Amino acid sequence: MTYLTSWEEFAKAAERLYLNDPQKCRFVTKYRHCDGKLNVKVTDDHVCLQYRTEHAQDVKKLEKLTNQLMRHMASKEKS
Amino acid sequence: MVLLENDTFLTELTKMFQKGKSSGSLSLTMKRYDGRTKPEPRKGNLPEPQEYKCLIRANLGNKKISTVINQKDVNKFQMAYANVLKGNMDGLKKKDKRSATKSKSKATQ
Repeated sequence: MTYLTSWEEFAKAAERLYLNDPQKCRFVTKYRHCDGKLNVKVTDDHVCLQYRTEHAQDVKKLEKLTNQLMRHMASKEKS
Repeated sequence: MVLLENDTFLTELTKMFQKGKSSGSLSLTMKRYDGRTKPEPRKGNLPEPQEYKCLIRANLGNKKISTVINQKDVNKFQMAYANVLKGNMDGLKKKDKRSATKSKSKATQ
């Protein structure tokens, strides 16, 4: 349950964790409109990285990371 | 868990975002999917999958939907998906000066 404070660090660590074991890793985004909060989590059931935010500018960064990971996931390569 | 086509999934997701405005949290899970629909046999190795896919699940309360994205549809889906997210995650704070003193902002409220 590690919360990272900087998005850049989180994004880098998330990608590393995914590449470590692509088959095990999942990426969860949780959005609460009523509280205005966004939680992002990456885990392979051994390591769990999280990031939380209340700021609208983080949605764009989230989009970038989501795209990057989706491209990794749906591909012909093993990793 | 209802497995939907990509387009239907996005429409349903938009509806879920709207439903979650008043209360509840909407989770989106994304993971790699090898296309397997049967359990792994206890003996013998499975052949390597030809292509990996991406499985996306969304859940709000007790409603769950999912979709599988094929490699060829990634580009198209990404754009539409990003639009849904950006259009609906509008309950967050806009950029302002207070973001610099975020920790103190609660005390002043």
